[in-house]
Amino acid sequence: MTHLDEPIRRFKRSQIVNHWIMLVCFVGLVVTGFPQKYSGYGWAKGIILVIGGVERVRWLHHLFGTVMALQLVWHGLDVLWHWLVRRLPLTMIPSIDDVLHFWQQVQFNLGRAATPPRMPRYTFAEKVEYLALIWGTVLMVATGVILLYPTRWLPLPGEFVLASKAAHGGEALLAFLSILTWHAYFVHVRHHNWSIFNGSLDAHAYAEEHALELDAIRRGEIAQPAPIVPWRLAVFAVLALVAVAGVAALWLWLNGSGIPIQTIVAGS
Amino acid sequence: MSIVRRRLLGCCRLVAALAFGAAGAASADDPNAACAECHGSADQVTAAAEAFELELEPAQAGRLVVPSMGEGSVHEGFSCVDCHSGAEEIPHPDTVMAGNPCATCHEDAVKAVNQSVHADPAGGSDLIAPCWGCHGAHDVRLATSAASSVAPGHVADRCLGCHDKREYLTGVHGHAVQHSGLDIAATCVSCHGAHDIQSSGTIGSRTKRRNVSSTCGKCHGRVAEAYRASVHGAALMKEDNPDVPTCVDCHEAHGTRDPAQTQFRVASPEICGKCHGDAALMTKYDLSTAVFSTYVADFHGTTAELFRAVTPNQPLNQAVCYDCHGVHDIQAMHGAGQEQINARMLVRCQVCHPDATNKFLSAWTSHYVPSRDRYPLIYWVNVFYQLVIPGTVGFFLLYIAVDWLARRRQHRRSA
Repeated sequence: MTHLDEPIRRFKRSQIVNHWIMLVCFVGLVVTGFPQKYSGYGWAKGIILVIGGVERVRWLHHLFGTVMALQLVWHGLDVLWHWLVRRLPLTMIPSIDDVLHFWQQVQFNLGRAATPPRMPRYTFAEKVEYLALIWGTVLMVATGVILLYPTRWLPLPGEFVLASKAAHGGEALLAFLSILTWHAYFVHVRHHNWSIFNGSLDAHAYAEEHALELDAIRRGEIAQPAPIVPWRLAVFAVLALVAVAGVAALWLWLNGSGIPIQTIVAGS
Repeated sequence: MSIVRRRLLGCCRLVAALAFGAAGAASADDPNAACAECHGSADQVTAAAEAFELELEPAQAGRLVVPSMGEGSVHEGFSCVDCHSGAEEIPHPDTVMAGNPCATCHEDAVKAVNQSVHADPAGGSDLIAPCWGCHGAHDVRLATSAASSVAPGHVADRCLGCHDKREYLTGVHGHAVQHSGLDIAATCVSCHGAHDIQSSGTIGSRTKRRNVSSTCGKCHGRVAEAYRASVHGAALMKEDNPDVPTCVDCHEAHGTRDPAQTQFRVASPEICGKCHGDAALMTKYDLSTAVFSTYVADFHGTTAELFRAVTPNQPLNQAVCYDCHGVHDIQAMHGAGQEQINARMLVRCQVCHPDATNKFLSAWTSHYVPSRDRYPLIYWVNVFYQLVIPGTVGFFLLYIAVDWLARRRQHRRSA
């Protein structure tokens, strides 16, 4: 019989690193973004003063945003690698079961069901957050790039730039408040879940949150990566190359207008 | 000169000679030599006071030393008693320093000052700002002389003695005169006048609101002309409008900043915002304060405001109000202003966005707050987030509250 606090391995090192990058970028973007959105407030000016002026704030914002955008591409390729080459199940993709789990959890919480749902590797709460993160990052990167290169999208009317600004700010607030509520509750309040930093979750929390997966772990039924098949590897390599080339081409095209926009007067 | 006075003067000389053995030093031709025997140095003043048993504060001794009328003084050759009548009497009567001796010869000047803010309240010659307060007492020079106490480089020292407007010295005019030696730059008298200074409330005063542009226009002629033809200037000249800005409302009267400098550009939206962000004032003219708030909400306005608040010395190339509306020739938007903007806007955008076209102009809402009719895309994006953010976060909070309560209940049961 295992102890309740037996650590169960949950995340591998690359996932921990991925989260760390995400965390630093997210905090960095919040700290450098909201003072711009709410620039009229004293606290906003204070943060900008401490960082060293709005120019540096924007430079950092663009830096964190670029890292996050590249991380999104990396994540896409990572998913592709595991799904296409290593043929592992996509455990983050929502299914009808998640809707059922949500319903069962609500019933249980309201005292109308005797037991809570038994959930797989990722709960509906985690999947909601994951999808919001992917959707949010795509939207933030897209609108951010429009704002960074405002004249590159002509002949679309200039209104799109302002609509992008509105969406960038709105989505930012939505993301920030979601992290403050949903994310903070599930990993800091409901359980002191440090697994994304130290890789392991204790058996007690695991049993409560991911009963189905814990059972599979106990039975040794966790899906193992398939051996690499040459044609799958080739397809992956081509797609990865296309993605990298696409990013490079986009970057070159965006910077191809000849004159980068500078807030500081050149030569000063 | 009476015999008695001569004797007294002789007495004085004798005392001085006994005390210092200096009687021979006084020239018989110099009408002021006798005065210099007592007023030549602090020691002489002290000794004379002792001889006549006069009470003298030590600090007074220095003040009673009178330098000889220097070479180049307009009063060279005058004797002391020409101005200080009664000084022949030794010891001098109490009234020796009373009255305004300048009035004897400079009647017109005293009359002029009596029409000004510095007039003698009693209408005499006892002016609030006495002649010597500005021109000096003993070494009066022609105003055209560089050594004059009212030469351009010295005027401010005179006026600042009473008027606390030290910001003039660091303003663009004061700096030019005092630091750069640019004598044609404005001094106090350039704008306020000299003998005929009037308070700014007086009709005809150089500094009365409707006259300010003419006063500044003495040097800045074309600017003043453009201003008087602008929406602000015309309202002032035609209707004596009390709300429109004059030159000094934007440029400051004394601490005038160089508008070519970064700090002015960075601070300029705030200058316009003083009035155009004032709801009470704008309502009066059926103008929207959104003209200011929409600018500040825009990327360019946000940047300008943050530069002003955090890095006011950093050069800014973001579009500010006057880049599109003009500097002095600002026109009302329901009049010629729209044409001005049409002509200026794209050109201004292209300074920083060289590939901007007319289509790009809608990347600025022209001060309109997005609505269903104007800039609907922005409006609906805003509406979307106004619904989605509270909806999502509200759902999260509700779910969290129920989940948390259920878990507490469960914990109590299992305990």
